[in-house]
Amino acid sequence: MATDVRTLPLARPEPRGILRSLLLTLPILIWSLLMFFNPGSSTAPIRRIAAAITVLFMTSLFFMMMRTRSTYRWRRIFFVSLGILFPIGFIYNLILMRGSMGIPVEEMIAGRTPFCFMPIPFLILPAALTRTLVFPGSIASSSHGIAAMVALWLALTLVMGKGWCSYACFFGGIEEGVAAIPARAKIRKLDPRLRYVPWAVLLAMVLLSLAIFEPAYCMWLCPFKAVTEYVAARNALGLVQNVIFVLLFAGLVIVLPFLTKKRTQCSWFCPFGAFQSIFNKISIFEVKIDKERCKPCLLCQNACPNLSLSKESVARGETLLSCMKCGACVDVCPRQAIVWHIKGTQIAWKPERARLMFLYSAWALAVMFGGSIIAESVYTILHFVV
Amino acid sequence: MKLRATLGYTAAAITVLIALLTPFLLMGLFSKGFVALGFHVDEMYSGGPKVRAIPMGAYSIDVHRPVYPHMLQSEKPFVQLDWQPVSALPQHVSDAVDVDGDGQPDIRVSFDVPKDPKAPLRVDVDSLNPRYETMRNAGKEKYSRLIVRVDKAILVRVPLVKP
Repeated sequence: MATDVRTLPLARPEPRGILRSLLLTLPILIWSLLMFFNPGSSTAPIRRIAAAITVLFMTSLFFMMMRTRSTYRWRRIFFVSLGILFPIGFIYNLILMRGSMGIPVEEMIAGRTPFCFMPIPFLILPAALTRTLVFPGSIASSSHGIAAMVALWLALTLVMGKGWCSYACFFGGIEEGVAAIPARAKIRKLDPRLRYVPWAVLLAMVLLSLAIFEPAYCMWLCPFKAVTEYVAARNALGLVQNVIFVLLFAGLVIVLPFLTKKRTQCSWFCPFGAFQSIFNKISIFEVKIDKERCKPCLLCQNACPNLSLSKESVARGETLLSCMKCGACVDVCPRQAIVWHIKGTQIAWKPERARLMFLYSAWALAVMFGGSIIAESVYTILHFVV
Repeated sequence: MKLRATLGYTAAAITVLIALLTPFLLMGLFSKGFVALGFHVDEMYSGGPKVRAIPMGAYSIDVHRPVYPHMLQSEKPFVQLDWQPVSALPQHVSDAVDVDGDGQPDIRVSFDVPKDPKAPLRVDVDSLNPRYETMRNAGKEKYSRLIVRVDKAILVRVPLVKP
Protein backbone atom coordinates (compact mmCIF):
# COMPACT_ATOMS: atom_id res chain seq x y z
CA MET A 1 0.00 0.00 0.00
CA ALA A 2 1.49 3.32 -1.06
CA THR A 3 1.97 5.99 1.57
CA ASP A 4 -0.16 9.14 1.32
CA VAL A 5 2.39 11.67 0.15
CA ARG A 6 0.47 14.52 1.76
CA THR A 7 1.56 13.24 5.17
CA LEU A 8 5.24 13.30 4.25
CA PRO A 9 7.38 16.22 5.37
CA LEU A 10 8.35 18.17 2.27
CA ALA A 11 12.00 18.97 1.94
CA ARG A 12 12.39 20.81 -1.34
CA PRO A 13 15.91 22.08 -1.94
CA GLU A 14 16.45 25.78 -1.39
CA PRO A 15 17.21 27.73 -4.57
CA ARG A 16 20.83 28.62 -5.01
CA GLY A 17 21.85 32.28 -4.96
CA ILE A 18 21.87 34.05 -8.34
CA LEU A 19 25.55 34.95 -8.18
CA ARG A 20 26.62 31.44 -7.24
CA SER A 21 24.36 30.01 -9.97
CA LEU A 22 25.92 32.38 -12.49
CA LEU A 23 29.41 31.32 -11.42
CA LEU A 24 28.49 27.67 -11.79
CA THR A 25 27.04 28.40 -15.24
CA LEU A 26 30.13 30.28 -16.44
CA PRO A 27 32.05 27.14 -17.59
CA ILE A 28 29.08 26.08 -19.72
CA LEU A 29 28.79 29.58 -21.21
CA ILE A 30 32.50 29.54 -22.14
CA TRP A 31 32.16 26.01 -23.51
CA SER A 32 29.10 26.98 -25.59
CA LEU A 33 30.90 30.03 -27.03
CA LEU A 34 33.86 27.80 -27.84
CA MET A 35 31.58 25.33 -29.64
CA PHE A 36 29.65 27.87 -31.71
CA PHE A 37 31.98 30.84 -32.15
CA ASN A 38 35.33 29.17 -32.74
CA PRO A 39 37.62 30.47 -35.51
CA GLY A 40 36.41 27.74 -37.88
CA SER A 41 32.70 28.53 -37.54
CA SER A 42 30.71 30.30 -40.24
CA THR A 43 30.66 34.11 -40.23
CA ALA A 44 27.37 34.33 -42.16
CA PRO A 45 25.05 36.63 -40.15
CA ILE A 46 22.09 34.19 -40.00
CA ARG A 47 24.40 31.40 -38.84
CA ARG A 48 25.78 33.70 -36.14
CA ILE A 49 22.27 34.61 -34.97
CA ALA A 50 21.30 30.91 -34.85
CA ALA A 51 24.47 30.15 -32.88
CA ALA A 52 23.80 33.01 -30.45
CA ILE A 53 20.21 31.82 -29.88
CA THR A 54 21.51 28.30 -29.19
CA VAL A 55 24.20 29.49 -26.78
CA LEU A 56 21.64 31.60 -24.91
CA PHE A 57 19.15 28.73 -24.83
CA MET A 58 21.56 26.06 -23.57
CA THR A 59 23.24 28.36 -21.07
CA SER A 60 19.93 29.65 -19.66
CA LEU A 61 18.69 26.11 -19.10
CA PHE A 62 21.89 25.18 -17.31
CA PHE A 63 21.60 28.33 -15.19
CA MET A 64 18.09 27.29 -14.17
CA MET A 65 19.37 23.81 -13.27
CA MET A 66 21.93 25.45 -11.01
CA ARG A 67 19.51 27.99 -9.55
CA THR A 68 16.63 25.61 -8.81
CA ARG A 69 18.80 22.54 -8.10
CA SER A 70 16.34 20.55 -10.21
CA THR A 71 17.28 18.82 -13.44
CA TYR A 72 14.35 17.19 -15.15
CA ARG A 73 12.13 20.05 -16.26
CA TRP A 74 15.03 22.11 -17.70
CA ARG A 75 16.58 19.11 -19.42
CA ARG A 76 13.15 18.31 -20.82
CA ILE A 77 12.87 21.75 -22.44
CA PHE A 78 16.18 21.10 -24.21
CA PHE A 79 15.27 17.55 -25.11
CA VAL A 80 11.81 18.33 -26.49
CA SER A 81 13.26 21.25 -28.48
CA LEU A 82 15.84 18.88 -29.91
CA GLY A 83 13.15 16.33 -30.78
CA ILE A 84 11.03 18.96 -32.56
CA LEU A 85 13.83 20.84 -34.28
CA PHE A 86 15.87 17.87 -35.50
CA PRO A 87 13.31 16.71 -38.11
CA ILE A 88 12.88 20.30 -39.34
CA GLY A 89 16.58 20.76 -40.12
CA PHE A 90 17.06 17.21 -41.33
CA ILE A 91 14.06 17.14 -43.66
CA TYR A 92 14.94 20.57 -45.05
CA ASN A 93 18.43 19.35 -45.93
CA LEU A 94 17.03 16.18 -47.52
CA ILE A 95 14.62 18.18 -49.66
CA LEU A 96 17.44 20.52 -50.61
CA MET A 97 19.81 17.67 -51.55
CA ARG A 98 17.50 15.19 -53.20
CA GLY A 99 14.03 16.72 -53.33
CA SER A 100 12.40 14.03 -51.20
CA MET A 101 12.46 12.29 -47.82
CA GLY A 102 12.70 8.94 -49.58
CA ILE A 103 16.20 7.50 -50.05
CA PRO A 104 16.54 6.52 -53.71
CA VAL A 105 18.63 3.47 -54.49
CA GLU A 106 21.15 5.72 -56.28
CA GLU A 107 21.96 7.46 -52.99
CA MET A 108 22.41 4.14 -51.21
CA ILE A 109 24.77 2.86 -53.91
CA ALA A 110 26.70 6.14 -53.77
CA GLY A 111 27.05 5.67 -49.99
CA ARG A 112 25.30 8.91 -49.21
CA THR A 113 22.74 7.66 -46.68
CA PRO A 114 23.32 9.65 -43.47
CA PHE A 115 24.22 7.29 -40.64
CA CYS A 116 22.26 7.69 -37.42
CA PHE A 117 23.17 5.85 -34.22
CA MET A 118 20.24 3.39 -34.31
CA PRO A 119 21.90 0.73 -36.52
CA ILE A 120 25.05 0.48 -34.35
CA PRO A 121 23.96 -2.68 -32.45
CA PHE A 122 22.94 -4.35 -35.71
CA LEU A 123 26.30 -3.77 -37.37
CA ILE A 124 28.34 -5.54 -34.72
CA LEU A 125 27.87 -9.22 -35.62
CA PRO A 126 28.19 -8.87 -39.42
CA ALA A 127 31.25 -6.64 -38.91
CA ALA A 128 32.83 -9.05 -36.45
CA LEU A 129 32.27 -12.08 -38.66
CA THR A 130 32.92 -10.65 -42.14
CA ARG A 131 34.40 -7.15 -41.64
CA THR A 132 31.38 -5.88 -43.55
CA LEU A 133 29.20 -2.95 -42.48
CA VAL A 134 25.63 -3.64 -43.52
CA PHE A 135 24.66 -0.03 -44.07
CA PRO A 136 24.46 1.91 -47.36
CA GLY A 137 26.63 4.79 -46.16
CA SER A 138 30.26 5.85 -46.23
CA ILE A 139 32.73 5.01 -43.51
CA ALA A 140 34.97 8.05 -43.33
CA SER A 141 33.52 10.61 -45.70
CA SER A 142 31.84 13.29 -43.58
CA SER A 143 30.19 14.16 -40.30
CA HIS A 144 27.32 11.90 -41.43
CA GLY A 145 29.76 9.03 -42.03
CA ILE A 146 29.70 5.81 -40.06
CA ALA A 147 33.09 6.39 -38.35
CA ALA A 148 32.15 9.89 -37.13
CA MET A 149 28.84 8.75 -35.63
CA VAL A 150 30.37 5.66 -34.02
CA ALA A 151 33.11 7.86 -32.51
CA LEU A 152 30.55 10.32 -31.18
CA TRP A 153 28.41 7.54 -29.75
CA LEU A 154 31.40 5.93 -28.07
CA ALA A 155 32.55 9.16 -26.40
CA LEU A 156 29.05 10.05 -25.20
CA THR A 157 28.42 6.54 -23.97
CA LEU A 158 31.65 6.50 -21.95
CA VAL A 159 30.46 9.67 -20.27
CA MET A 160 26.74 9.10 -19.82
CA GLY A 161 25.95 5.42 -20.27
CA LYS A 162 22.23 5.31 -20.92
CA GLY A 163 22.10 9.03 -20.27
CA TRP A 164 22.43 9.09 -24.08
CA CYS A 165 18.66 8.55 -24.18
CA SER A 166 18.04 11.75 -22.16
CA TYR A 167 20.76 14.10 -23.40
CA ALA A 168 21.69 13.03 -26.93
CA CYS A 169 19.00 10.99 -28.69
CA PHE A 170 17.40 13.31 -31.22
CA PHE A 171 14.28 11.15 -31.42
CA GLY A 172 13.24 10.72 -27.78
CA GLY A 173 12.26 14.36 -27.37
CA ILE A 174 9.24 13.96 -29.62
CA GLU A 175 7.54 11.46 -27.36
CA GLU A 176 8.73 13.22 -24.21
CA GLY A 177 7.02 16.33 -25.55
CA VAL A 178 3.82 14.46 -26.34
CA ALA A 179 3.87 12.81 -22.88
CA ALA A 180 4.10 16.26 -21.28
CA ILE A 181 0.87 17.50 -22.89
CA PRO A 182 -1.89 15.86 -20.81
CA ALA A 183 -2.23 16.80 -17.15
CA ARG A 184 -2.95 13.22 -16.10
CA ALA A 185 -2.36 9.81 -17.60
CA LYS A 186 -5.43 8.17 -19.09
CA ILE A 187 -3.86 4.73 -18.80
CA ARG A 188 -2.21 4.21 -15.42
CA LYS A 189 -1.88 0.47 -15.06
CA LEU A 190 1.07 -0.63 -17.18
CA ASP A 191 2.22 -4.21 -17.37
CA PRO A 192 5.81 -4.27 -16.02
CA ARG A 193 6.64 -7.18 -18.32
CA LEU A 194 6.56 -4.76 -21.25
CA ARG A 195 9.99 -3.57 -20.04
CA TYR A 196 11.50 -6.70 -21.53
CA VAL A 197 10.15 -6.09 -25.05
CA PRO A 198 13.08 -3.82 -26.12
CA TRP A 199 15.50 -6.63 -25.23
CA ALA A 200 13.47 -9.06 -27.33
CA VAL A 201 13.39 -6.57 -30.23
CA LEU A 202 17.16 -6.06 -29.85
CA LEU A 203 17.92 -9.78 -29.90
CA ALA A 204 15.57 -10.45 -32.81
CA MET A 205 16.91 -7.55 -34.89
CA VAL A 206 20.58 -8.36 -34.19
CA LEU A 207 20.07 -11.94 -35.37
CA LEU A 208 17.89 -10.93 -38.31
CA SER A 209 20.42 -8.29 -39.40
CA LEU A 210 23.10 -10.98 -39.43
CA ALA A 211 20.88 -13.40 -41.33
CA ILE A 212 19.66 -11.06 -44.07
CA PHE A 213 22.71 -8.78 -44.02
CA GLU A 214 20.68 -5.62 -43.79
CA PRO A 215 20.03 -3.24 -40.89
CA ALA A 216 16.73 -5.01 -40.29
CA TYR A 217 15.41 -2.54 -37.71
CA CYS A 218 15.98 0.42 -40.03
CA MET A 219 14.42 -1.41 -42.94
CA TRP A 220 11.32 -2.59 -41.12
CA LEU A 221 10.62 -1.21 -37.66
CA CYS A 222 12.13 2.20 -36.94
CA PRO A 223 9.19 4.51 -36.08
CA PHE A 224 11.32 7.59 -36.70
CA LYS A 225 11.60 6.85 -40.40
CA ALA A 226 8.22 8.59 -40.47
CA VAL A 227 9.86 11.92 -39.61
CA THR A 228 13.32 11.55 -41.13
CA GLU A 229 14.02 9.50 -44.21
CA TYR A 230 12.67 6.23 -45.46
CA VAL A 231 13.34 3.80 -48.24
CA ALA A 232 11.68 5.24 -51.33
CA ALA A 233 8.71 2.98 -52.06
CA ARG A 234 9.74 1.44 -55.38
CA ASN A 235 7.37 -1.49 -55.06
CA ALA A 236 4.65 -3.01 -52.85
CA LEU A 237 7.24 -4.15 -50.32
CA GLY A 238 8.52 -0.59 -49.91
CA LEU A 239 4.96 0.62 -49.44
CA VAL A 240 4.41 -1.95 -46.67
CA GLN A 241 7.63 -0.81 -44.97
CA ASN A 242 6.50 2.81 -45.00
CA VAL A 243 3.04 1.96 -43.66
CA ILE A 244 4.73 0.11 -40.76
CA PHE A 245 6.92 3.14 -39.99
CA VAL A 246 3.94 5.48 -39.88
CA LEU A 247 1.79 3.14 -37.76
CA LEU A 248 4.59 2.55 -35.24
CA PHE A 249 5.28 6.26 -35.04
CA ALA A 250 1.62 7.12 -34.54
CA GLY A 251 1.14 4.40 -31.93
CA LEU A 252 4.37 4.46 -29.93
CA VAL A 253 5.46 8.08 -30.26
CA ILE A 254 2.13 9.96 -30.33
CA VAL A 255 -0.89 8.02 -29.04
CA LEU A 256 0.61 5.90 -26.22
CA PRO A 257 2.81 8.65 -24.70
CA PHE A 258 -0.28 10.89 -24.68
CA LEU A 259 -2.34 8.24 -22.91
CA THR A 260 0.30 7.05 -20.44
CA LYS A 261 2.54 10.12 -19.93
CA LYS A 262 5.49 7.78 -20.49
CA ARG A 263 8.12 7.49 -23.20
CA THR A 264 6.51 4.33 -24.51
CA GLN A 265 8.68 3.86 -27.59
CA CYS A 266 11.79 4.05 -25.40
CA SER A 267 10.33 1.87 -22.63
CA TRP A 268 8.57 -0.77 -24.65
CA PHE A 269 10.21 -0.96 -28.03
CA CYS A 270 13.53 0.78 -28.72
CA PRO A 271 16.29 -1.83 -29.19
CA PHE A 272 18.98 0.85 -29.15
CA GLY A 273 17.79 1.90 -25.68
CA ALA A 274 18.09 -1.70 -24.50
CA PHE A 275 21.58 -1.92 -26.01
CA GLN A 276 22.50 1.38 -24.35
CA SER A 277 21.30 0.07 -20.96
CA ILE A 278 24.26 -2.32 -20.94
CA PHE A 279 26.60 0.68 -20.76
CA ASN A 280 24.99 1.88 -17.54
CA LYS A 281 27.14 -0.81 -15.96
CA ILE A 282 30.34 1.00 -16.97
CA SER A 283 29.05 4.54 -16.41
CA ILE A 284 30.43 6.09 -13.23
CA PHE A 285 27.32 8.21 -12.62
CA GLU A 286 24.06 6.68 -11.43
CA VAL A 287 20.88 7.41 -9.49
CA LYS A 288 20.51 5.75 -6.08
CA ILE A 289 17.88 5.65 -3.36
CA ASP A 290 18.79 6.31 0.26
CA LYS A 291 16.83 3.52 1.92
CA GLU A 292 16.95 5.21 5.32
CA ARG A 293 15.21 8.33 4.05
CA CYS A 294 12.84 6.62 1.61
CA LYS A 295 9.26 6.09 2.78
CA PRO A 296 8.09 4.29 -0.32
CA CYS A 297 5.39 6.63 -1.58
CA LEU A 298 6.32 5.55 -5.13
CA LEU A 299 5.97 9.07 -6.49
CA CYS A 300 9.28 8.33 -8.19
CA GLN A 301 7.85 5.29 -9.93
CA ASN A 302 4.97 7.38 -11.26
CA ALA A 303 7.28 10.18 -12.35
CA CYS A 304 9.81 7.96 -14.17
CA PRO A 305 9.14 8.40 -17.90
CA ASN A 306 10.90 5.15 -18.73
CA LEU A 307 9.51 2.61 -16.25
CA SER A 308 12.98 2.35 -14.71
CA LEU A 309 11.74 2.05 -11.13
CA SER A 310 9.72 -0.73 -9.57
CA LYS A 311 8.65 -1.43 -6.00
CA GLU A 312 11.38 -4.04 -5.79
CA SER A 313 14.11 -1.79 -7.14
CA VAL A 314 13.07 1.02 -4.78
CA ALA A 315 13.27 -1.46 -1.91
CA ARG A 316 16.78 -2.40 -3.06
CA GLY A 317 17.72 1.29 -3.19
CA GLU A 318 18.46 1.42 -6.90
CA THR A 319 16.98 2.11 -10.30
CA LEU A 320 16.66 -0.55 -12.97
CA LEU A 321 19.33 -1.02 -15.63
CA SER A 322 17.28 1.03 -18.09
CA CYS A 323 17.60 4.29 -16.05
CA MET A 324 18.18 7.22 -18.45
CA LYS A 325 19.45 9.62 -15.77
CA CYS A 326 16.83 12.19 -16.69
CA GLY A 327 16.44 13.29 -13.06
CA ALA A 328 12.61 13.04 -12.88
CA CYS A 329 12.65 10.78 -9.82
CA VAL A 330 15.33 12.83 -8.05
CA ASP A 331 13.35 16.03 -8.51
CA VAL A 332 9.98 14.60 -7.49
CA CYS A 333 11.06 12.87 -4.27
CA PRO A 334 9.57 14.85 -1.36
CA ARG A 335 12.18 13.50 1.07
CA GLN A 336 15.21 13.91 -1.19
CA ALA A 337 15.85 10.21 -0.78
CA ILE A 338 16.72 9.75 -4.45
CA VAL A 339 20.12 11.15 -5.26
CA TRP A 340 22.74 11.46 -7.96
CA HIS A 341 25.60 9.19 -7.09
CA ILE A 342 29.16 8.39 -8.08
CA LYS A 343 29.96 4.68 -7.93
CA GLY A 344 32.19 3.78 -5.02
CA THR A 345 31.15 6.70 -2.85
CA GLN A 346 28.75 6.60 0.07
CA ILE A 347 25.09 6.99 -0.93
CA ALA A 348 23.63 10.44 -0.25
CA TRP A 349 27.04 11.84 0.71
CA LYS A 350 27.33 15.17 -1.12
CA PRO A 351 24.83 14.20 -3.85
CA GLU A 352 24.91 17.72 -5.32
CA ARG A 353 28.61 17.22 -6.06
CA ALA A 354 27.78 14.04 -7.97
CA ARG A 355 24.97 15.87 -9.80
CA LEU A 356 27.26 18.72 -10.79
CA MET A 357 29.99 16.41 -12.08
CA PHE A 358 27.43 14.47 -14.12
CA LEU A 359 25.70 17.59 -15.42
CA TYR A 360 28.92 19.33 -16.47
CA SER A 361 29.96 16.35 -18.56
CA ALA A 362 26.48 15.54 -19.88
CA TRP A 363 25.56 19.16 -20.64
CA ALA A 364 28.91 19.86 -22.31
CA LEU A 365 28.22 17.01 -24.72
CA ALA A 366 24.57 18.01 -25.07
CA VAL A 367 25.74 21.48 -26.16
CA MET A 368 28.21 19.96 -28.59
CA PHE A 369 25.87 17.42 -30.19
CA GLY A 370 22.25 18.40 -29.52
CA GLY A 371 23.17 22.08 -29.49
CA SER A 372 24.69 21.88 -32.96
CA ILE A 373 21.52 20.17 -34.24
CA ILE A 374 19.39 22.90 -32.65
CA ALA A 375 21.61 25.62 -34.14
CA GLU A 376 21.33 24.06 -37.60
CA SER A 377 17.53 23.85 -37.34
CA VAL A 378 17.23 27.41 -35.98
CA TYR A 379 19.35 28.48 -38.96
CA THR A 380 16.94 26.66 -41.29
CA ILE A 381 13.96 28.45 -39.74
CA LEU A 382 15.69 31.84 -39.81
CA HIS A 383 16.70 31.19 -43.40
CA PHE A 384 12.99 30.98 -44.30
CA VAL A 385 11.82 33.82 -42.08
CA VAL A 386 14.51 36.45 -42.71
CA MET B 1 35.53 2.49 1.65
CA LYS B 2 37.79 5.53 1.46
CA LEU B 3 39.81 3.94 -1.36
CA ARG B 4 36.62 3.11 -3.27
CA ALA B 5 35.40 6.67 -2.87
CA THR B 6 38.75 8.03 -4.07
CA LEU B 7 38.64 5.73 -7.08
CA GLY B 8 35.03 6.79 -7.74
CA TYR B 9 35.87 10.49 -7.71
CA THR B 10 38.95 9.88 -9.85
CA ALA B 11 36.84 8.03 -12.42
CA ALA B 12 34.22 10.82 -12.30
CA ALA B 13 36.93 13.45 -12.88
CA ILE B 14 38.27 11.40 -15.81
CA THR B 15 34.74 11.23 -17.21
CA VAL B 16 34.43 15.03 -17.07
CA LEU B 17 37.81 15.22 -18.84
CA ILE B 18 36.61 12.77 -21.51
CA ALA B 19 33.59 15.01 -22.11
CA LEU B 20 35.78 18.10 -22.47
CA LEU B 21 38.25 16.37 -24.78
CA THR B 22 35.56 14.81 -27.00
CA PRO B 23 35.21 17.53 -29.66
CA PHE B 24 38.88 18.45 -29.76
CA LEU B 25 40.63 15.11 -29.54
CA LEU B 26 38.58 12.01 -28.84
CA MET B 27 36.12 12.26 -31.75
CA GLY B 28 39.02 12.35 -34.20
CA LEU B 29 40.91 9.59 -32.40
CA PHE B 30 37.93 7.26 -32.13
CA SER B 31 36.96 7.97 -35.72
CA LYS B 32 40.48 7.20 -37.02
CA GLY B 33 40.57 4.10 -34.83
CA PHE B 34 37.31 2.88 -36.34
CA VAL B 35 38.57 3.47 -39.88
CA ALA B 36 41.80 1.63 -39.02
CA LEU B 37 39.79 -1.49 -38.14
CA GLY B 38 39.49 -1.99 -41.91
CA PHE B 39 35.76 -2.52 -42.25
CA HIS B 40 34.12 -2.02 -45.62
CA VAL B 41 30.56 -1.22 -46.67
CA ASP B 42 28.63 -4.27 -47.86
CA GLU B 43 29.35 -4.80 -51.55
CA MET B 44 25.63 -5.30 -52.16
CA TYR B 45 25.50 -1.51 -51.76
CA SER B 46 28.94 -0.44 -53.01
CA GLY B 47 29.06 -2.83 -55.98
CA GLY B 48 32.46 -4.27 -55.11
CA PRO B 49 35.93 -3.05 -56.14
CA LYS B 50 36.73 -2.18 -59.75
CA VAL B 51 38.98 -4.75 -61.39
CA ARG B 52 39.58 -3.21 -64.81
CA ALA B 53 38.44 -0.57 -67.27
CA ILE B 54 37.51 -1.21 -70.91
CA PRO B 55 38.23 1.85 -73.09
CA MET B 56 35.43 2.56 -75.56
CA GLY B 57 36.78 5.70 -77.26
CA ALA B 58 35.26 8.78 -75.61
CA TYR B 59 34.00 6.80 -72.65
CA SER B 60 34.98 3.69 -70.73
CA ILE B 61 33.33 0.75 -68.99
CA ASP B 62 34.57 -0.09 -65.50
CA VAL B 63 34.14 -3.74 -64.60
CA HIS B 64 33.73 -4.63 -60.93
CA ARG B 65 34.51 -7.87 -59.15
CA PRO B 66 31.42 -10.13 -58.91
CA VAL B 67 29.45 -9.71 -55.69
CA TYR B 68 28.00 -12.72 -53.90
CA PRO B 69 25.24 -12.44 -51.29
CA HIS B 70 25.85 -13.31 -47.62
CA MET B 71 23.77 -15.71 -45.56
CA LEU B 72 20.05 -15.25 -46.33
CA GLN B 73 20.43 -12.02 -48.29
CA SER B 74 17.55 -11.90 -50.75
CA GLU B 75 19.64 -10.99 -53.80
CA LYS B 76 21.36 -12.90 -56.57
CA PRO B 77 25.09 -12.68 -57.20
CA PHE B 78 25.82 -9.91 -59.72
CA VAL B 79 28.51 -8.01 -61.52
CA GLN B 80 28.48 -4.21 -61.79
CA LEU B 81 29.53 -2.29 -64.89
CA ASP B 82 29.94 1.52 -64.93
CA TRP B 83 29.63 3.55 -68.12
CA GLN B 84 31.38 6.87 -67.65
CA PRO B 85 31.45 9.77 -68.11
CA VAL B 86 27.77 10.14 -68.93
CA SER B 87 28.53 13.34 -70.88
CA ALA B 88 30.56 11.31 -73.42
CA LEU B 89 27.92 8.61 -73.96
CA PRO B 90 25.88 8.53 -77.20
CA GLN B 91 22.07 8.86 -77.04
CA HIS B 92 21.78 5.10 -77.33
CA VAL B 93 24.38 2.69 -75.99
CA SER B 94 24.64 -0.87 -77.23
CA ASP B 95 27.93 -2.43 -76.22
CA ALA B 96 29.17 -6.01 -76.21
CA VAL B 97 31.16 -6.36 -72.99
CA ASP B 98 33.84 -8.89 -72.10
CA VAL B 99 33.09 -9.09 -68.39
CA ASP B 100 35.44 -11.87 -67.32
CA GLY B 101 38.41 -10.69 -69.42
CA ASP B 102 38.80 -13.86 -71.53
CA GLY B 103 38.72 -11.96 -74.83
CA GLN B 104 35.16 -13.06 -75.68
CA PRO B 105 32.08 -10.82 -75.21
CA ASP B 106 29.83 -12.14 -72.42
CA ILE B 107 26.83 -9.80 -72.65
CA ARG B 108 25.39 -7.10 -74.86
CA VAL B 109 24.07 -4.16 -72.89
CA SER B 110 21.64 -1.66 -74.47
CA PHE B 111 20.13 1.44 -72.93
CA ASP B 112 19.08 4.98 -73.85
CA VAL B 113 20.85 7.94 -72.27
CA PRO B 114 18.26 10.67 -71.60
CA LYS B 115 19.45 14.27 -71.33
CA ASP B 116 17.45 14.76 -68.11
CA PRO B 117 19.61 13.26 -65.33
CA LYS B 118 16.49 12.48 -63.30
CA ALA B 119 14.72 10.59 -66.09
CA PRO B 120 14.20 6.88 -65.35
CA LEU B 121 16.56 4.47 -67.08
CA ARG B 122 15.77 1.09 -68.62
CA VAL B 123 18.23 -1.54 -69.79
CA ASP B 124 18.23 -4.70 -71.92
CA VAL B 125 20.98 -7.25 -71.43
CA ASP B 126 21.45 -10.12 -73.86
CA SER B 127 23.40 -12.98 -72.44
CA LEU B 128 26.20 -14.25 -74.71
CA ASN B 129 27.59 -16.45 -71.95
CA PRO B 130 25.30 -18.72 -69.89
CA ARG B 131 26.93 -17.42 -66.69
CA TYR B 132 25.04 -14.12 -67.07
CA GLU B 133 21.29 -13.58 -66.95
CA THR B 134 19.31 -11.89 -69.68
CA MET B 135 17.46 -8.73 -68.61
CA ARG B 136 14.54 -7.10 -70.41
CA ASN B 137 13.45 -3.51 -69.77
CA ALA B 138 14.94 -3.63 -66.27
CA GLY B 139 14.84 -0.54 -64.05
CA LYS B 140 15.95 -0.58 -60.42
CA GLU B 141 13.88 -3.32 -58.85
CA LYS B 142 16.66 -5.06 -56.94
CA TYR B 143 20.27 -4.37 -55.95
CA SER B 144 21.39 -7.27 -58.12
CA ARG B 145 19.42 -6.23 -61.19
CA LEU B 146 19.34 -2.56 -61.99
CA ILE B 147 20.39 0.43 -63.99
CA VAL B 148 20.91 3.74 -62.18
CA ARG B 149 22.71 6.99 -62.70
CA VAL B 150 25.14 7.86 -59.92
CA ASP B 151 26.96 11.16 -60.36
CA LYS B 152 28.90 10.97 -63.65
CA ALA B 153 28.33 7.28 -64.36
CA ILE B 154 25.55 4.95 -65.41
CA LEU B 155 25.72 1.72 -63.42
CA VAL B 156 24.31 -1.56 -64.67
CA ARG B 157 24.17 -4.63 -62.43
CA VAL B 158 23.76 -7.95 -64.21
CA PRO B 159 22.74 -11.03 -62.20
CA LEU B 160 24.92 -14.11 -62.43
CA VAL B 161 23.35 -17.49 -62.95
CA LYS B 162 23.92 -19.57 -59.82
CA PRO B 163 26.25 -22.53 -60.53
